[in-house]
Amino acid sequence: MPDLKPFIVLGLALGGVFALSGVGLVVLYRATGVINLAYGAVGAFGALISWELINNARWNEWLAFLVCILFGGVVTLVYGYIFGPMLAPRDPLVKATATLGLLLVLLGLSSWIWGDDARSIVLPTTSEGFSIGEVNVNYTQIIALALCLVVTAGTAVFLRVTKLGTAMRSLANDREITAMLGVPVRRVEAAAWLGSGLLSGATGLLLSNLVGLDMVGLTFLVIAALAAALIGQLRSLWVTLAAGLAIGIVQACATPFESIGGYRSMTPFVFAIAALLWFARKQPALVRV
Amino acid sequence: MSVAEKSGSTGAGAVAARPPGQRFDRKTIVHAVGIAIFFLLLFFVLPGITSNYWLQICTQVVVYSVVALGLAILVGRVGMVSLGQIALLAIGGWVALRIGFATGLPFPILMLAAGLVTGILGVIVGLPALRLSGLYLALITLMAAAAISIVLQQTNFPNGGGGFLGYDITGSGTAALRRPSIAMETTSFFRYTLIVGGLMFLLAWLHVRGKPGRAWAAIRQSQPAALAGGVNITLYKLWAFALAAFMTGVMGCLLAASGGGLTILQFPTQESISLLAAVFIGGVYGFAGAIVAGVFIKLVPALLDNWDLPPDLLLILFGVGVMQVLLTAPQGLAVQFPKDMMKLAKLIARPFTKGRKTAGEVAR
Amino acid sequence: MIRIEDVTVQFGGVKPLDGVTVEFPVGTCGLIGPNGAGKTTFFNVLSGFVTPREGRVVAFDEDLFAMPHYKRARWGLRRTFQTEQAIEELSLYDNVAMVHEHWGQNRTSRREDVLGALDFVGLDHLDPRVKVGVLDARDRRLVEMARAVVGKPRLVLLDEPAAGLPDEETQHLASVIRRIPEHMGALVILVDHDMSLVQNTCSITAVLDFGKLIAAGPTAEVLRDEHVIKAYLGTEEEL
Repeated sequence: MPDLKPFIVLGLALGGVFALSGVGLVVLYRATGVINLAYGAVGAFGALISWELINNARWNEWLAFLVCILFGGVVTLVYGYIFGPMLAPRDPLVKATATLGLLLVLLGLSSWIWGDDARSIVLPTTSEGFSIGEVNVNYTQIIALALCLVVTAGTAVFLRVTKLGTAMRSLANDREITAMLGVPVRRVEAAAWLGSGLLSGATGLLLSNLVGLDMVGLTFLVIAALAAALIGQLRSLWVTLAAGLAIGIVQACATPFESIGGYRSMTPFVFAIAALLWFARKQPALVRV
Repeated sequence: MSVAEKSGSTGAGAVAARPPGQRFDRKTIVHAVGIAIFFLLLFFVLPGITSNYWLQICTQVVVYSVVALGLAILVGRVGMVSLGQIALLAIGGWVALRIGFATGLPFPILMLAAGLVTGILGVIVGLPALRLSGLYLALITLMAAAAISIVLQQTNFPNGGGGFLGYDITGSGTAALRRPSIAMETTSFFRYTLIVGGLMFLLAWLHVRGKPGRAWAAIRQSQPAALAGGVNITLYKLWAFALAAFMTGVMGCLLAASGGGLTILQFPTQESISLLAAVFIGGVYGFAGAIVAGVFIKLVPALLDNWDLPPDLLLILFGVGVMQVLLTAPQGLAVQFPKDMMKLAKLIARPFTKGRKTAGEVAR
Repeated sequence: MIRIEDVTVQFGGVKPLDGVTVEFPVGTCGLIGPNGAGKTTFFNVLSGFVTPREGRVVAFDEDLFAMPHYKRARWGLRRTFQTEQAIEELSLYDNVAMVHEHWGQNRTSRREDVLGALDFVGLDHLDPRVKVGVLDARDRRLVEMARAVVGKPRLVLLDEPAAGLPDEETQHLASVIRRIPEHMGALVILVDHDMSLVQNTCSITAVLDFGKLIAAGPTAEVLRDEHVIKAYLGTEEEL
């Protein structure tokens, strides 16, 4: 039995980012009904921009990181602002499919501008760290885990306590009635898009550090976040958090085992399908009359 | 009321008393002749006017057109989105390679086996999600596609080795599936693929025109009404899914025999999404749209490459296409494009139908 | 004959149906009540979309709840909905044929049955190959009616079939509905707000209010019942 402790640390960090992304997805879904499948692509594109700024334009790295996060926020906000209202009355499936359009555009653009070469972006926090026992932990990992806990808790409180948060919850319930109540629906939605977008920029940066700056790989890491969100039934933030962490830990801990190590990236899928089987068991044929 | 039933028909599409002039017949005959001419042109003329390289590309266009057709039926007729069809194509290829290398079974059997295994896999993946919602189905197919990619990265495609995986690591890497003896060269293989593709189109057409097609139309419009009509919704959704997977699996076998063997690089996860975009652009409703989709997925990138243009432009086009199509579609996932095409077709057909009474004008 | 015994439906704290017991003997029977009284829930229980917490339904000597919902259509349960449900992209023929083919009925009699149903509702003047999408509201309603009566229906549930139709069309609809029990041997339960339609077609009517049955009997009497009037108007004044 290999020593799993370093992998648990890795897993917590990775899972933390999965959870963070998952929460971002769930909050946006609850406020707008949109599952943003381009979430990972946006973050990855932002990270590439940061890379470009740092390596070719010689910008200060913190400024470049800020650009990444802002990019995430702005692109997502613009998308939501333009397409949100037009797609608002449609089925969640249609709304999610539309975000695939954004995903393809970003994939195409990034491939055109930067090609497929492997790159790396290193946050300064990765080189600093400390040890717990024999295990090394760097600050990036700490940030990942801490951020996911803080954001989840903060979002939960925000949704429950603040006016904007309550408006978002009301939107999730019924957009029409919320509008009739005088809630500035478009502004609330814009806030949700912006928040989710900023988060995607942040997670893009963290993931590039933890896993590598590869556009396609990062784009489809959204799958792990999706799995976590799905397990939370697109509703519960805390279950999404727990699921994200669990997926991260299991995936990381599978690494040292030779026979299954290569398959570890399947973990999100395995979790998700197990969850679906569980949910579908209790469900009679869904009919809305 | 005198009745002239179309022979062999199952009832739907079977016609009641024909009004004078037999307008319906004329239209079907014209369609059928048009399709036959198109098919014959491809079969006889195309190999003569293109090089081997482009003929190979066209073979791929046929393959991907069938895959696109499967997806188009799911999306356009039933209203279900699958983001994993390309992964299923890879599975079909894998199964064909494994069985092909292990046994001496004839090619058609390999195709069937590939289709069946892929069909069953499609059902297994789809079943838990089907009872939940269309969104969950889309998500789980995306996840399954990525998972399949990961597995295939590890196991590689069979190349004649032993064991369950059939991969010989010391071997030459990839190895192509042996072609049927009547289809050894590029031209004959293209024709063989064309015929199989045609058969798959026919299979799909029979479904759409028959009982499943009607059930799917009901499901897409209103599930309660479908249920009240006695339709077993889960069964018919699964059937659609299995059909699309089967067709895809069969073409996977052909793909395995077309080039120098298969690698996972040929089946990126993103291509399933591009396929959906291409299907949207071609129009999800008609069968011709699937061919357009196949062209966009395989021919256009080759053309762009030939003209030294970046293939990434196509991705951007696809992305814009998806958003535009979904925005202009009036309801569900049925798209505006084929409706516009239909309006155009009606416009063209008007000189032929002038003078005949339309349904509503018949004396009340 | 259909007997509903003590059916109660509960969602959390809400009881859309509360201990409803009523018997519909034969012919066409009305079910009326103010909005929210539980009429659609009642139909949903019969259709099998909603499972009641308590109660039994015996229709033509068979326990309805013993059948899962998709089997009830096969058994002979038909239903129309408040919102139009005829499938727009299918033809008249296919719309009706679909109902016929999905409960394993005799294939050889299919054409006859389908055309017969279209004839019965008064759509025989239209080409059955026409897509329903091009028809107007009146004809679409009739297509739904044809779907409801094709083959051998036993229990036909009509949920506001006249909704949105002008008076002349409602007259035609009434005559179609009146003929169903006699021609098809089925029991019809009609829910509608149009009182003249109910009076014209239903011999017996039951009234729901807040999930409870407040009256049942010959239609004319029920419509004059003061409790029924009070339920609709909230006052004791006569209509």
